[in-house]
Amino acid sequence: MASATRPAAIRERVADSDRSVGRLLLVAAGALFWGWLVVSWINRWLGGVIVPVGQPLVPVGAVEAAFGAIPGLAAYAADAGFVVELTPVLSRGTWLTVVITGVSLTLGFIIAVPLAVTRVYGRFSAWLSLGYTELLRGTPLLAQLFVLYYGLNLASYVPGAVSGVFARDVVWVAILGFTLNGAAYQAEYIRGALESVEEGQITAGRAIGLSKLETIYHVVLPQGLRYAIPSWTNEFVYLIKYSSLAGFITVPELYYRTNQVASETFRYTLIFVVTGMTYLALVLTASKLMERVEDRVSIPGLGAEREE
Amino acid sequence: MSDDDFLRVTDVSKWYGDEKVLDEVSFEMDRGDVTVLIGPSGSGKSTMLRCVNRLAEAQEGSILLDGEEVLSPDLDVDELRREVGMVFQGFNLFAHLTAVGNAALGPRRVLGLSESEARERAEAQLERVGLSDQFDSYPAELSGGQQQRVGIARALAMEPKLMLFDEPTSALDPELIGEVLEVMHGLVEEGMTMLVVTHEMSFAREVADEIVFLDDGHVIERGPPEQLFDHPEEERTGRFLERITSHD
Repeated sequence: MASATRPAAIRERVADSDRSVGRLLLVAAGALFWGWLVVSWINRWLGGVIVPVGQPLVPVGAVEAAFGAIPGLAAYAADAGFVVELTPVLSRGTWLTVVITGVSLTLGFIIAVPLAVTRVYGRFSAWLSLGYTELLRGTPLLAQLFVLYYGLNLASYVPGAVSGVFARDVVWVAILGFTLNGAAYQAEYIRGALESVEEGQITAGRAIGLSKLETIYHVVLPQGLRYAIPSWTNEFVYLIKYSSLAGFITVPELYYRTNQVASETFRYTLIFVVTGMTYLALVLTASKLMERVEDRVSIPGLGAEREE
Repeated sequence: MSDDDFLRVTDVSKWYGDEKVLDEVSFEMDRGDVTVLIGPSGSGKSTMLRCVNRLAEAQEGSILLDGEEVLSPDLDVDELRREVGMVFQGFNLFAHLTAVGNAALGPRRVLGLSESEARERAEAQLERVGLSDQFDSYPAELSGGQQQRVGIARALAMEPKLMLFDEPTSALDPELIGEVLEVMHGLVEEGMTMLVVTHEMSFAREVADEIVFLDDGHVIERGPPEQLFDHPEEERTGRFLERITSHD
């Protein structure tokens, strides 16, 4: 860098500032999005301390007036007002989307790790694990949800301990479905990562007297799970979007709620653009979060250094 | 009396499929002895070494370590490996752990020492191999010679009664071999019992109590270094030594 010629240095600085402007915009957008979400949720939980429950955080009229005052944007004043009117529905649906994704991903991970380990290091259990993975990956997720909800009617068997946590017990059926399905996908990502841990690592673990299982726990997993982060992030991102399938078993998550408004107002395009943007914001948050996690747990020389 | 041998390998044979890689190998060591296994690549010396801590399974014969049968199916291999340290050609350091982490893992998880006791022990062993300034370095941040010294410290941290060295300098650049051999020299002087596979003939000559020459899974010849290096009885030994010393 120090030896860079002046023009190159300037170009670099310009590129840097470009990047930092982009970064700043992204951070601002993220802060606005999450600020709006969290404040909306708190408002709802506390029974409407900021605005009455179901009302947007900013008055529709004010937004319409603001748009109307700006030449060129005046034509969109009504649309802007409509979007603002939609925000309470969006924030409410997004809550379930976030919770279903978070809980399913976590529970799925807990299942996926042993699935992947048995797949790589098991004998008979490797076949069981393979069978599970192929069955769950090889059939449509929506069909799986239908079997759990309509077929097995699991919503009526939600155990008392967790029943009532959500307004409707069907949310647990969705979480179960995404957990079982996601575990299969996560296991595949983790399996690939475990296989890339060098054989010599296991030999060395065994040589100091660790059992096979201890070696897997103390040596293979800490490395393999780090390798798995980039591909595992895919599953995180997919799950955010696939969680919209919960709407088909009547879980009032983001897609379900906005779809309902769309079928009442027929403003499909606008509503699904806004809904899509909301999913996009969640997905970007997830991938940024996982980048941070990857950086935080990175170890010099372990796995490929991520290119910035 | 040979019944008191610390390590007694008797007629050990091993097959990989149809291929016999060890053919009735026998040798014995006293406590504090240094035995060096030499021979062409593929002669079975690394396999022999691995049979001693059961990283490889010998199908026939007997290996008595301190009076206990290593090859017994009832033996707890993890317990055996606690007492037999091993150093690998490719170092095999735990890539996610620092130098201290590498040397502390065994004491912590296998011997059940507390976090601080394990760390203390790991640091002491790293000091012993001359790495007191690299406690918190990760393997990728160390040179090959330093990595192998961590490998030695990791094995020593278990306070083994026997150390196995599997070509510890073969993966090293020539200028890094010396520092590893120096550490091994130190261990010899401290009276460590060592079974070493190496191509470093001058090191073998200096420190070995006995040299075992293996070829094609057979012990061709064994004896003190002066005898084996200067007056080999077998033609094959002579030819091998000629080949390998002309490399130096």
